[in-house]
Amino acid sequence: MANTQTAEVNAGGTTTRAHLPSNKDMWVFVLGDLVIFSSYFIIFEIYRHQQRQTFLSAQQHLSLSIGVVNTLVLLASSWFVAQSVQLTRAGEYERAMRLTVGGGLCGVVFILLKAYEWSTKIGHGLTFGSNDFFMFYYMLTGVHLFHVALGLVFLGVVFFELRNPKLRRVSMVETGATYWHMVDLLWVVIFALMYVMR
Amino acid sequence: MSAVSAAPVVTENARPAWTRRPKIDQWICWWTIPIFYNLFGLIFVVLTRVMPPPRPDITPEQIVAFFETHSLTIRIGFALLMFFIGFASVANGLIALQIKRMSVSPVFAYAYIGALVVGGLPGCLLPAFAFVAGAFRPDRDPQIMVMLYDWCLLSFVGSLGCFCTQNMVLALAIFLDKNDILPKWLAYMSIWMIVTELLASPVFIFKSGPLAWNGSISFYVGTAVFVVWEFAIIRLLYVAIKNQSPTEQIQD
Repeated sequence: MANTQTAEVNAGGTTTRAHLPSNKDMWVFVLGDLVIFSSYFIIFEIYRHQQRQTFLSAQQHLSLSIGVVNTLVLLASSWFVAQSVQLTRAGEYERAMRLTVGGGLCGVVFILLKAYEWSTKIGHGLTFGSNDFFMFYYMLTGVHLFHVALGLVFLGVVFFELRNPKLRRVSMVETGATYWHMVDLLWVVIFALMYVMR
Repeated sequence: MSAVSAAPVVTENARPAWTRRPKIDQWICWWTIPIFYNLFGLIFVVLTRVMPPPRPDITPEQIVAFFETHSLTIRIGFALLMFFIGFASVANGLIALQIKRMSVSPVFAYAYIGALVVGGLPGCLLPAFAFVAGAFRPDRDPQIMVMLYDWCLLSFVGSLGCFCTQNMVLALAIFLDKNDILPKWLAYMSIWMIVTELLASPVFIFKSGPLAWNGSISFYVGTAVFVVWEFAIIRLLYVAIKNQSPTEQIQD
């Protein structure tokens, strides 16, 4: 990973020094956020262990197919955003902008799918207070959804900076991408814990 | 503020030496923060017993017994809080001043102070008087005691959402600031605070489990993040005051 980056930066001729993508402030956020989410996951595991039958039977109500589509949508968005970082480093700003928009649209699709999923669950009477499984379901997906919405704000800032030749900065695009990949990573863990794990 | 830095040459002999130290006014305010947070800890944890919060899922008899056992310390603790709660505004004023040094409109500083005033009422004063009223006459009808108990703890933990605005204002001010008064990572940390504060609202629904008012997620994770954030901002305020030029002009 670090090697390919160094090679690309060299090809661009801007710097010869390996560097941390984005900036240290964003990495403080990402690492801390992962610690906070890990604590939620551990608490989820403890409750799941205590009420194994409740959790397994409640899990049957989740739609694995919507979960898979959601995962694919976010993975696609991460690919768009990663490509946009490469293109920004290469100076192809027009294409980088289009891919950033693509990543953001995937985020919007993710939110719409989640809204549909929540509304069908609520329609079936499976709400926040139904049981501990659905409490964790709404809490974890809700907090993650907040991160997705915030990620759209970050991608929006990246888009407007890319659009203005005076503001274009590789580090800013990397910062947005770092955040977006974290959102993706967290979803993959939530998907595995809530939808897949039996 | 500006009077201290402008005056020293003229009145040099009339004033004690320590008052002539640059930014002594801000340093006095800064030192109140560690002292009064320790006092708040003592009041909430040792005396009034609202931290860590007692259980929401206990019987009326147990609630009456709780008030009988802790009647005296609850009243002493909240009496002390009445004297010391105002000092929170010194720390907030100090942060608001640093926001005013940023390249953002002072409206952020005003909003920061205002948001904390909004949060301080349900977060400190309303719960204090509910608990004091309970401790004042523990021989009341147990159902009334249950109401005072619920009122105090729902208000104390469930009002954390009121502090979202404070953290949003601070985060946005830091992101927009070009003077680098406070580091950007503090703005990101404030986003953690917003997330953990949002997760305090479910205490209005659950009487047990991780999202109840004594829950591992609603209370403990949120409190742990708050402690980290608080240590960071105390340290960063120290650095910000240290780096501030005594003659710097601050916008009104």
